[in-house]
Amino acid sequence: MTAVAATEPRRMRASLTLSVGIVLVGLHVVVALLTLVWTPYDPAGMAGGRLEGPSLAHWAGTDRLGRDLFTQIMIGSRIALTVGAGAVGIGALIGVTLGILAAFATRFLDDVLAAAFDILIAFPTLLLAMLVVAATDSASLFSAILALGLAISAIVGRLTRILAKRVLEMDYITAARTAGTSWAGIVFIHLLPNIWPTLLVNFALQFGLAVIAEASLSYLGLGAPPPNASWGRLLQEAQGTVYTAPFGAIAPGLALVTLVIGMNMLADGLRDIGDPTRRRSR
Amino acid sequence: MTHLFKGLTLAAALVLVPGAAVAQGADPDAVIRIGSLYEPQNLDNTAGAGQGINEAFNGNVYEALFQLQDEGEVTEQLVTDYEISEDGLTYTFSLQPDVTFHSGDPLTAEDVVYSIERVTAETSQSSRKSSLATIESVEAIDELTVEVTLSERSISLPYNLSYVWIVNDAAVDITASEDGTGPYRLDDWRRGSSLSLVPYENYWGEAPSNGGVVFNYFTEATALNNALLTGAVDIITSVQSPDSLAQFADNPSFTVTEGASTTKELMAYNDRIEPFNNVKVRQAIARAINDEQLLEAIWGDYGTLIGSFVPPTDPWYVDLTDVNAYDPESARELLAEAGYPDGFSFTLDTPNYDPHPIVAQFIQNELAEVGIDVEINIITANEWYTKIYQAQDFEATLQEHVNHRDIVFYGNPDFYWGYDNPEVIELIASAESSATVEERNEKLRQANIIIAEEAASDWLYLYPQIVVSAANVTGYPINGLNSQFYAYDIVKTN
Amino acid sequence: MLFILLRLLPGDPASSLISVGADPEQIAAARRQVGSDLPLFEQFIHFLSSLVRLDLGTSFVSRAPVLEEVLTRLTLTIPLTLLSFALAIAVAVPLGIVAAVKADKWYGAAISVVSQLGIAIPVFWVGILLVTLFAVNLRLLPSGGFPPQGWGDPVAALRALTLPIATIAIVMAASLLRYVRSATLDVLGSDYLRTARALGAGFSESLVRHGIRNGAVPVVSILGIELATALLGAVVIERVFALPGLGSMLLLAIEQRDYPNVQGVLFISTLLVLLIGFFADLAQRFIDPRLRDPHGSVQK
Repeated sequence: MTAVAATEPRRMRASLTLSVGIVLVGLHVVVALLTLVWTPYDPAGMAGGRLEGPSLAHWAGTDRLGRDLFTQIMIGSRIALTVGAGAVGIGALIGVTLGILAAFATRFLDDVLAAAFDILIAFPTLLLAMLVVAATDSASLFSAILALGLAISAIVGRLTRILAKRVLEMDYITAARTAGTSWAGIVFIHLLPNIWPTLLVNFALQFGLAVIAEASLSYLGLGAPPPNASWGRLLQEAQGTVYTAPFGAIAPGLALVTLVIGMNMLADGLRDIGDPTRRRSR
Repeated sequence: MTHLFKGLTLAAALVLVPGAAVAQGADPDAVIRIGSLYEPQNLDNTAGAGQGINEAFNGNVYEALFQLQDEGEVTEQLVTDYEISEDGLTYTFSLQPDVTFHSGDPLTAEDVVYSIERVTAETSQSSRKSSLATIESVEAIDELTVEVTLSERSISLPYNLSYVWIVNDAAVDITASEDGTGPYRLDDWRRGSSLSLVPYENYWGEAPSNGGVVFNYFTEATALNNALLTGAVDIITSVQSPDSLAQFADNPSFTVTEGASTTKELMAYNDRIEPFNNVKVRQAIARAINDEQLLEAIWGDYGTLIGSFVPPTDPWYVDLTDVNAYDPESARELLAEAGYPDGFSFTLDTPNYDPHPIVAQFIQNELAEVGIDVEINIITANEWYTKIYQAQDFEATLQEHVNHRDIVFYGNPDFYWGYDNPEVIELIASAESSATVEERNEKLRQANIIIAEEAASDWLYLYPQIVVSAANVTGYPINGLNSQFYAYDIVKTN
Repeated sequence: MLFILLRLLPGDPASSLISVGADPEQIAAARRQVGSDLPLFEQFIHFLSSLVRLDLGTSFVSRAPVLEEVLTRLTLTIPLTLLSFALAIAVAVPLGIVAAVKADKWYGAAISVVSQLGIAIPVFWVGILLVTLFAVNLRLLPSGGFPPQGWGDPVAALRALTLPIATIAIVMAASLLRYVRSATLDVLGSDYLRTARALGAGFSESLVRHGIRNGAVPVVSILGIELATALLGAVVIERVFALPGLGSMLLLAIEQRDYPNVQGVLFISTLLVLLIGFFADLAQRFIDPRLRDPHGSVQK
């Protein structure tokens, strides 16, 4: 059977993807936890001269104030994981709930929710971030997370609604309904298991996008304020010195890229292995 | 001190560079493309247009009775001659004849009356409105004579009038169009992008030595530098960091000039409230911060240390860098004497643009050394004006003050930082009604020394004023006083 | 709702008009001019009455009519968005299908890896890298800015937009590619495709006939989202490349608390987004007949 022959290498590659993903994300988690108890240098103190290049003492060099960049980048892991997890958590909770609600709802409520998703998606994350800052009274890591979470909830909600609708059109749902399966039963037995693989891929993407979005907010001067060493702010601060100290503008970016790729590979691996449709296909 | 010395000699040496090579191969039709970070918000300097309008329009599109030259002296512009009465209260100005506005209307005394009243009007947002408050009346005596009557002597009247654009009194709306007498007229303004000026064919004076000017606006310093590097602009009006200079300084295709700057980076306290109403606390903070190291971190070898609010180019400058100089040990003693042996904590409202956030972090570290806990609160420029400038609801803040001759702010107890010393107020108020320039300078010098000793604010450093151009472009102003950028002498060779 | 939200922001539009040195009288004049001295409900009535007249008003700061300004900016934003979008689709759809169908070949895997990289990089970083390479080092294209004549000089305008379009397209294509690949994999594993093949249809033929139709539904929905986000999401790119687009107008207006401009931009962009959503929905229903009557399908 060709189907089986084709699936085996894919499964192997999927588990490879998964392992690499776990290693990359795990590395960041370990570093993030480590910074809670230990960092190579005092993150705020001057550890060297102005804009030193990478050396044995300072693996990523120093910034304009002579602070050790590697220390800042390590702390950045903690902040990025907090931003990603917090934003996706908020986004998933609100988005999936409203998306399923829309799929089940009357035509009017469905249209209202669909329009709300569309509008919120178009509503610039930027403005959202500023409004949240206003509501929480000052710019903080939390306000950035909340703003990104709200932005994500619209995207998740829209996707959930569409996916849920496709599933609800299926004949077996009609059969289940006819057989008297409860509303909750349909959601938890039939609906969620069918849509969660796609949602999971989306969550992983949103996790990465949240980390990237925070970087963009910082680039525009709207991200987590100092002394939070978010990678976005490090990149933004290093941008002005890119010609004299290029490594300072590269190192935080590399850290960011590895976390986002790790997260995506983790999700890809899970998806390729755990997808129920493909499991059935064996 | 080394910074100060270096800055001045460099400026002196480089003054000679632009203009030196004017003669050979200059192209009189070349359009000069200027890159800038300061786009005007609208086109009227009495309607809150921001510093960008001074850069684009002062001396280029609009002229005034007097002109503030790039070297700092004030000369007659639309005035041929003027007389001051014995008591110093009446000024009679004779206007330049045969001047026309860009719309074709001739310049008359009525236009001058209209223009001055526009600035002193109730709705005016001109930054010089208060300095013209001594004007009691402005009258047109005949076609080309204007008489200004003052309520008290004002020795800086010609200087202050250099900020007053002469506008055609028939012009309807000058927030989106213009009608001035300058060597250029507005060709096109594409908001968010560029503003172009073309020579005005009937200009009364010497025609510009180029074929027009285009200001290209950028919101981001790196994009601005790239534009010069790739030849998309010929000149950039201000460089924001020493690190972007590295690529121009060693390159023969570019000319880097460091001129005199009036932009001061400072930490202003709310002097009305605890603990900043205590002189010892302010002195302690000034001594706890190593300004030299800060300047080095922000500007490398550029920039100048200052001991007070007055830059070396002002006539009442005295070197005060030794007053309350860096000395953490005496800072701790002063704090103990003031009743804060264990320090205290305060919030530093920090504008969200460069260099304020990084300066704030530096101050946070330095003050932690003497036991003072600083919380950094990042705000936007708009919030700064709302929360700090208007509501005066703050403990301490960072700001760059760009104005020329602005020590007068310390003579106003209602100003945002609330410095209230009767002696300084009296000195600054009486300086303006001095009979001679020397008397005025002496009074302001005294005021300058007092604010420095009392550490009214912490003056961190003076920005360098750096202009970078392509090597084939010369004749541009290098000091940029009051953000002006006279474009008419700029030439480009092929 | 927007009105209330905007007024929650700290700051005052009048603050954008004053400068250091302004006295209380000047501040009061500025507040009168922008109407921020009026009670909130009065400001709201002004806002409602002008909205009813479809009058977007004039900017507090520049005093220019909002609609005119928005339309000028759209002449940059719409071509920028659509061209980036078209380029992204042209790249992502074929590569995504190849990455899924040929997942076992090295180039299929390579496409996936490169797309991983593409979505992991912040867009401003891509922009900065492209500028450094193509503008600063190779001097092939302008590093930023838009010609003063706009589209009056189409060659210069297109050259100015080349790098921004490439930047947006790279990032957009990378994320689209993943959806296309994911949707294609779904289709490949589905029952109907195997049924079709069991009935004797060739692999490519069945993929084209059944696969694209089924796989396209979620992808079209994602496309709608991407297009809508790109419209205002270009603000970061506009800053990197110094482009006078809708996003930078919004950013500046927010910073200055220039409410008429903020409301104007959001009003027009909301209209555009609803329009995009409408067309995306239409496209989905066209592709998948089952979605044509989503609420009545049970009775069918």
